[in-house]
Amino acid sequence: MIAGGIPLGDVLLASGALFVIGLVGALLRRNAISIFLSIELMMNAANLTVLGYAASLQNLEGQVVVFFVIAIAAAEAAVGLAIFIALFRHTETIDVNRINLLKW
Amino acid sequence: MAALTATRLVFDAAATLAIVFASVMVIHRHPVKSVLALVVSFFALSIAYVLLSAPLIAAVQVIVYAGAILVLFLFVLMLLNVPEEARHGSGRPIHRILSAAAILVFAVFLLSLLRSHGATASPAVGASAGGGADVAAAARLLFSEHLLSFEALSVLLLAALVGAFALARPETQR
Amino acid sequence: MTATDWLITAVRVLAPVLAIMLILPIPMWLERRGAGLIQDRPGPNRVGPFGLLQPLADAVKFFMKEDLIPANTDRLLFVIAPGIALFSALTTFAVIPYGPAVTVGGREIPLVGADVSIGILYLFALTSLSVYGIVLAGWSSNNKFSLIGGIRSGAQIISYELAMTTAAAGVILAAGSFRLTDVVAMQTGTWLGFIPRWNVFPQFLGFAVFYVATFAETNRLPFDLPEAEAELVGGYHTEYSAFKFAMFFMAEYVNMIVASALTVTLFFGGWSLPWYEPHGIGGVIVSALAFFAKTAFFVWVFIWVRWTLPRFRYDQLMRLGWKALLPVALLNLLWVAFLVVKRWLP
Repeated sequence: MIAGGIPLGDVLLASGALFVIGLVGALLRRNAISIFLSIELMMNAANLTVLGYAASLQNLEGQVVVFFVIAIAAAEAAVGLAIFIALFRHTETIDVNRINLLKW
Repeated sequence: MAALTATRLVFDAAATLAIVFASVMVIHRHPVKSVLALVVSFFALSIAYVLLSAPLIAAVQVIVYAGAILVLFLFVLMLLNVPEEARHGSGRPIHRILSAAAILVFAVFLLSLLRSHGATASPAVGASAGGGADVAAAARLLFSEHLLSFEALSVLLLAALVGAFALARPETQR
Repeated sequence: MTATDWLITAVRVLAPVLAIMLILPIPMWLERRGAGLIQDRPGPNRVGPFGLLQPLADAVKFFMKEDLIPANTDRLLFVIAPGIALFSALTTFAVIPYGPAVTVGGREIPLVGADVSIGILYLFALTSLSVYGIVLAGWSSNNKFSLIGGIRSGAQIISYELAMTTAAAGVILAAGSFRLTDVVAMQTGTWLGFIPRWNVFPQFLGFAVFYVATFAETNRLPFDLPEAEAELVGGYHTEYSAFKFAMFFMAEYVNMIVASALTVTLFFGGWSLPWYEPHGIGGVIVSALAFFAKTAFFVWVFIWVRWTLPRFRYDQLMRLGWKALLPVALLNLLWVAFLVVKRWLP
């Protein structure tokens, strides 16, 4: 394998694009779970940025940070989906535009 | 511009794949297909992570993110039988304004990138054989300097487990 | 990388995959004749002597049958699902070493597809991906039985994955590395001159948990409720016919072979024979044959158990995975940690 370089600009461009796509998805989707997926995408874009800088600065702390982020995302996904399930049981819909009352 | 090496080409290909499938995820109206597009996107990202000499994180990404979190999403979608989204848009103009603003911010970000030319995210020369030292070294860091965070993480996961169960369990009749 | 490098890499990677695909008819035949033997009946004996051509007849049948895709299904997912199952089954073999390093023309070539630094983790990653093949098959069939079968099977796989990885964590702790070549290297030699240094001896609990978990991971009896005919028609592969069903069928056997190979590598010394030092090409051939023989034995045990034990009910299955196997695997991990700290394990 050729020990070559990946220009940091490439990495940042990719992660920036992923972040914006996730942001657009979080803003424009109506399905609560799709919004959640877009947020996960944004987190991955952040992971990519951290790893890009970690590789560029030859520092392993970046990998540790990303490891923790992934594990925390798992915890958050579990609780978030539990919330959606509980919500769905009460309101029969996960369209965020229709869930607009604090009390029903 | 750095040289067009094999590593860079593969990284670009993986990143493009990730971006394409992320777009598919955002555009597709059926939630199950969105999740699957995201799985492919995450898989492509893990290839990118390997090229950034983070093989441990690449494996963790596939095992945890693509292989557990998204499976959880998939199960919930299948069990709730979530329907396709209707075709017309979100209906609130503020969303479109905000999305346009986001893309504008991205463009500004891109311009600032041009000033960081020369920085390379190259893997260390000795890491071309699979980066064996990286895995052990990263693991050592995790268990020495960050041990408290690691243990706190396990408590967090336990709390999330209990919380998720408490939220999602069916209501019992008293 | 020169052309020779590419050629060598290609041979290293493709040799085991091709070997598996070529050997596949043997477990298929063995299953049916073995079933006959255990159930005191002849088994297939019409096609060729001792029914040896039965797999060929099966293959011809699979190719000639009508390929049905049910209505109102998602065609793309329906077609991809068996592909995902087979893909993840076959690519698992890339990190399992099937022989010692052989020196050819001044080059040292380890006999493994890809000696990555995250060997075992790569395997777990692929197991996680295989869940998608099954769950998608169940969902895209647009059929309640398939959906329930698919979801049950998916839940079963991810539950037993935990016990399996915790049991394997004991091996990783003892070996100090994720690479499977290191795990095998650590198991060469003997204790006291006659007990082989296999991981099964100090980590017997780990082996037991791991082996039971592989039965659940490959959806084999006694854990095959998701595809049990009496319960769910065919589970997630009800609606699949002809070649797509053949792909699931092949994926199941490949999974069996890979699971056996993995058990052998982690707990029974892989290609190493305890009283034998491999030298040169002869040594490589003997070691590869040893690996093959050990794997074949465990494949036979898969078949043997299938026709001997009754099936677990689904709640019993989940209870076993979470409440029995996982705590035992953790106990094993504690035990291995104790051994490593006392330096009784390397």
